[in-house]
Amino acid sequence: MKRTRVFLACAAALLLALVSIFFGPRLLNPLALDAESRQILLLLRLPRSAVAFLMGGALGASGLILQGVFRNPLADPYILGLSGGASLAAALGILLAGSLPLPLPLLAFAGALGACALVAALGRGPEGLRPDRLLLGGIGLGFFFSAVLLLLMTLVSDGGLKRTILWMSGDLSSANWELIPGGLALILGGLALALARSKGLNVLGLGDEIAHGLGFNPGRERFFLFIAASLMTAAAVSLGGTVGFVGLLVPHAVRHLVGADAQRALPVSFFGGGTLLCLADSLGRSLAAPLEIPAGVIVALIGAPWFILVLRKKGYGL
Amino acid sequence: MPLVLARLLVLALLLSGPLRPAWAEDPERIVSLAPAMTETLFALGLGEKVVGITSVCDRPEAARDKVRVGGMSNPSLESILALKPELVVMTTDGNPKYIADQLQRFGIAIHVFTPRRLSEIPGGIRELGARVGAAETADILARKLENLLTTPPRFAAGEGPKALFVIWPEPLIVAGPGTLIDDALTLVGYVNIAADAGTAYPRFSVEEALRRKPDVIFLGLGHDRDNPRTQRLLQRLVPPELGHPGRIVTVSDALYRAGPRLPGGIVELSSGQNLGAKRSDR
Amino acid sequence: MLNFDDIAFDFSDTPFIAGLSFAVAQGEMLGLIGPNGAGKSTILKLAAGLLKPRAGSIRLAGRPIASYNGRERAQRVAYLPQQLDARLPFRVAELVEMGGYPHRGRAPRNTSEALRLAGLEAKAEAPLGQLSGGELRRAYLAMTLRQGADCLLLDEPLAGLDLRYQAELLQLLRGIAARTRTTVVMSLHDMGAALWLDRLLALKEGELIGAGKPRELLGEDLIRRLFDLDEEAAWIFRPGADLPETGQGRRSSG
Repeated sequence: MKRTRVFLACAAALLLALVSIFFGPRLLNPLALDAESRQILLLLRLPRSAVAFLMGGALGASGLILQGVFRNPLADPYILGLSGGASLAAALGILLAGSLPLPLPLLAFAGALGACALVAALGRGPEGLRPDRLLLGGIGLGFFFSAVLLLLMTLVSDGGLKRTILWMSGDLSSANWELIPGGLALILGGLALALARSKGLNVLGLGDEIAHGLGFNPGRERFFLFIAASLMTAAAVSLGGTVGFVGLLVPHAVRHLVGADAQRALPVSFFGGGTLLCLADSLGRSLAAPLEIPAGVIVALIGAPWFILVLRKKGYGL
Repeated sequence: MPLVLARLLVLALLLSGPLRPAWAEDPERIVSLAPAMTETLFALGLGEKVVGITSVCDRPEAARDKVRVGGMSNPSLESILALKPELVVMTTDGNPKYIADQLQRFGIAIHVFTPRRLSEIPGGIRELGARVGAAETADILARKLENLLTTPPRFAAGEGPKALFVIWPEPLIVAGPGTLIDDALTLVGYVNIAADAGTAYPRFSVEEALRRKPDVIFLGLGHDRDNPRTQRLLQRLVPPELGHPGRIVTVSDALYRAGPRLPGGIVELSSGQNLGAKRSDR
Repeated sequence: MLNFDDIAFDFSDTPFIAGLSFAVAQGEMLGLIGPNGAGKSTILKLAAGLLKPRAGSIRLAGRPIASYNGRERAQRVAYLPQQLDARLPFRVAELVEMGGYPHRGRAPRNTSEALRLAGLEAKAEAPLGQLSGGELRRAYLAMTLRQGADCLLLDEPLAGLDLRYQAELLQLLRGIAARTRTTVVMSLHDMGAALWLDRLLALKEGELIGAGKPRELLGEDLIRRLFDLDEEAAWIFRPGADLPETGQGRRSSG
């Protein structure tokens, strides 16, 4: 029975996301598209919404995974220093090589993944990844990267550097079709890995001893789930910079709606996060047209009060 | 009578004391806290007297080996004081107020350049010139700009070709209302399609830019057409499928600063325009 | 069912347990009794495969425990630590559902049956955070019931529970052990509760100092030695050995 509910929820989310494509500074009527509107739809709106959906989905799913792995409802995908690593990699790339030898998304991805590897190395214990070490390593690394980035910004007066930081803080307007296949592969790959390990994610929540008692190897489950979350988050960051809050908010909302079983919550987090970001981007490009409000700002504006309300009502796990 | 004299004397002594900021007629040691000011000071022939500049002051060439005192928004008070300046030149557009307050507290003379709009700049140049003892050169510089300002516009307001000035392609950031660039565009006769954007350098919707069909797209410094970022933007902004023949002109950063290169920047804009045709002729 | 042969175990290179041997029969309810630090938790963890002995062999259903892979082992033996987390975002039914994981969908009992055995059908949809202490224990127990293990290893399952809930839990365990021939090995402090079990192992500082039926084993001398009590305290704490052999004990046959 629950399966159909999950399926319906995901389908509804997808539908909503599709509808949001038609909203913008000017409403597009799908039944009456002139040449110009068609260009806008194909070249601008579709890639943009696709990127938003993939990013939001990746962040929502990663958030759920990390909140389970760390058994901490305040974990979010950037807790591992990923966004700092990505920004720093991009900034260094620009500095050291004049005009970028590698495209920015690739640099950002490499940086994010590098940060993950570093955190994983720091978080390793004799029996696999230890959540407390991971957390400390991630937070510490995140601070370190931010500091280096600030240092760079202070010392270097390159305008391009500053603008890149701007991009890193979340930009969906420059989405284009080239990025999407790679991003899609990575994100779906990560999601598939996480889904395969969703039972492991559930039992990790019960603590290592009980997880072991149920026949799982907690260190190994954490490892695979960590990889899945890292892949998805790194891909998201390389697609459109760092959009905050989605990874924190969506898992809570999803658990509230369909329960905490990862076999259900994971796909719903993906579709829910994707739709949320699509809608936020839709609003961001429509509300103050011709100005663009970054989607991350909209998510935070709407999400934060709602999040606080939910926390006050529920209180579990906090 | 003697009492009044005595009082006047005391007043004079007080006024000449260390509390009164020194006022040098022709300051020999000038620190500039803005690139536009640095360029202007050099253009006024006072390059020798400039002893300190910011890290973003990159012109003219001769300024490159001057001592740096920090950034525009965060100059180092210590470094400034160490240079023992007789005058510090600042602008309201980029320098923090607290530096002005602190300098005054230390008794350092400052000159604040306030003009922001194109029309106010000649006046500002003359003021600066008077302050640094280069009034005549300042007048010449101001006149160059004034000549352009007083040229009557080619088109009635709102009827000229539509233009968009790209500051940065990804995300798309353009010159909006209230900027020198916007003033210059209007002066030359263009209609800035980003004039309703509300802020000076808005993140502009690519869609809207496409819909508003600019006749000319100006690409600011660093964004020539070989740059992949710029290419991607242009592909989206002027897709060939729509057969929209927008002109694309690469310009320098002359209009980014309220400096002596403004006249040149205005001329650059004019070069992008087929000045004979009105919009309705297309 | 469970055999410890000459087990030696060290705590950070200091010898703790040496030469420990005992056997637990199928369907038996065995209690590990002793003061803190006696090694009760350690023995349970060794039996669960969470810790590895330095020497000796542990056999589960005749096979060395190391020869089982995780899933096989989990199908045979279930383990619950002393601290059970209630601040989890799961509902009772979701928790119990997880007991089926080692069986990959063909668990010997389904969730509702496990809930019924544990007396928690009414609370199936309740979040764990809303359960009382006794109910929480039973919820985790229901999970192990779904797991269908032949052997349950429970670390201090009665800790912190009201007597009423202790009684409920012990009756539940006894019923399950009798009906389904499940072996239950549990550690405990309370000698009154120990009377419910079939057999006891008395442990002190890693050493087995006595074994036998509760009423026979728990004489004053042993209690004194075990818990370092003086005469008076040992007499006061003795577990009602002079109460009549209570026929109302409702010991289930078999």
